[in-house]
Amino acid sequence: MTTAVADAHDAHDEHHGPEKGIKRWLFTTNHKDIGTMYLVLSLIMFLVGGSMALIIRTELMQPGLQFVHPEFFNSMTTMHALIMVFGAVMPAFVGLANWMIPMMIGAPDMALPRMNNWSFWILPVAFGILGSTLFMDGGAPASGWTMYPPLVLQTGDAFPFLIFSVHLMGISSIMGAINIIVTILNMRAPDMWLLKMPMFVWTWLITAYLLIAVMPVLAGAVTMLLTDQFFGTSFFLAAGGGDPVMFQHIFWFFGHPEVYIMILPAFGVVSEIIPTFSRKPLFGHDSMVYAASCIAFLSFIVWAHHMFTVGMPLSGQLFFMFATMLIAVPTGVKVFNWVATMWRGAMTFETPMLFSLAFVFLFTIGGFSGLMLAIAPADIQYHDTYFVVAHFHYVLVPGSVFAIMAAVYYWLPKWTGHMYNETLGKLHFWLSTIFVNVTFFPMHFLGLAGMPRRIPDYSTQFANFNEIASIGAIGFGLSQLIFVWVLLAARRGEKATDRVWEAPRGLEWTVPSPAPYHTFDTPPKARVAQESFE
Amino acid sequence: MTGQTADRKKAVRRTTIILVTVAVAFYLGFILMGILRA
Repeated sequence: MTTAVADAHDAHDEHHGPEKGIKRWLFTTNHKDIGTMYLVLSLIMFLVGGSMALIIRTELMQPGLQFVHPEFFNSMTTMHALIMVFGAVMPAFVGLANWMIPMMIGAPDMALPRMNNWSFWILPVAFGILGSTLFMDGGAPASGWTMYPPLVLQTGDAFPFLIFSVHLMGISSIMGAINIIVTILNMRAPDMWLLKMPMFVWTWLITAYLLIAVMPVLAGAVTMLLTDQFFGTSFFLAAGGGDPVMFQHIFWFFGHPEVYIMILPAFGVVSEIIPTFSRKPLFGHDSMVYAASCIAFLSFIVWAHHMFTVGMPLSGQLFFMFATMLIAVPTGVKVFNWVATMWRGAMTFETPMLFSLAFVFLFTIGGFSGLMLAIAPADIQYHDTYFVVAHFHYVLVPGSVFAIMAAVYYWLPKWTGHMYNETLGKLHFWLSTIFVNVTFFPMHFLGLAGMPRRIPDYSTQFANFNEIASIGAIGFGLSQLIFVWVLLAARRGEKATDRVWEAPRGLEWTVPSPAPYHTFDTPPKARVAQESFE
Repeated sequence: MTGQTADRKKAVRRTTIILVTVAVAFYLGFILMGILRA
């Protein structure tokens, strides 16, 4: 496991380029290959999870039960969430980290290349196991991605497979996080000081610490679920003296930092793109680092805002309410700095910039609705309604997913050596942005009117907004086919220059396009390279 | 292997061991918390 730097240099393919055929992908230790595999897996999972979302929205287009059984509907909400969180968003950011972090810090590869291969290949196995539960007696897990006991213990044959796949996803994430931290701390170019690191690297460093702290907590929680089900323990079973609420505390001690695991790298991506297309350095780089660290710290002390309706002492409610609201301060610093970076910049609006701008606006809407949910007395009204669904989809779709798309458009020419089709990219952006709002904005109204989440049928008073949301979801889903086409057609695009954009900053733009299989065999002079740009 | 590479290899190993220890401690720690509370 502890294959290190020297081994990376001694690796067979170091001198010969990649292996031919399938062996290249099965046995690769190259960070670019592994990054590509993560990104492809993430795209596949995004399409699978998106199809599940379309099943959900098709059923909800009209009141009454139309297309699927309620049990299957519940499986779809559960599987959609698990696949999107663990299969689409997280692997996409790990893929971006694999591709970009070594190039951004001037390292030849990740510090632990063989473990990197393992981190990736565990994931398709985990999702194969999770996907297989769709065909088991009792159906796929249907208790929601939160897996609350005692409900989750009523899962059929799928239960142990669910637990095993969550364990595998956790192991993969932890190994990936260890690799990222070890790489950043030990493999930087000699004059790449910590505070000189690009924001994407910084946000990933902080995210990796979060992962190491909370993924084992999730693993512990699901291990206890497993022993409750099969080994006679009563961690969470009230009948045996256990406490089901303890599961909720443990789950959300993982679950809330998990939200920031999915959004901090997005902050990093946007912090790379906005300066490039504003032709100005990032405003307040150091304050961005401190703000991200502050958000990460606060994410550990706000978990019970997910549980206001469970019941807790007033002092607890006040603490978790105010701590949650406090997160708005460092987040505000970030939004201010992005706006200040654009202020009087020579802005142009290529596709990555468009996605980044939409991120700033629409993520902020998700942030505001989060503040509303943080207010304990108000949350009792909002809890488990579509308002919550609207909130977290605004954070995760025009938030995390848009940032991932921005990153792909931004770095794709560096990866492939070809420019993508800008017209189709912009079409993809505008359709996605319009439809994402058509889908999720009406959900605020549905929630405020009292429509509960995770139900296949609803009162007729909710029909109109549900119909609009479903039309939006279908439009959003179809828009993503443009994205797939743009990616597939990218190899036929015009040749990209080494710098690709007019004013990019960072070591990744000093290497040719496409980036060679091996970069920075000898450490670069990071500051000299940077100054030559400016 | 140069001295610098050997030093870096040692540092990589040390950081990895620390991080693995933290992850295992969190895993076992939270299960222990469950045992103590149950």
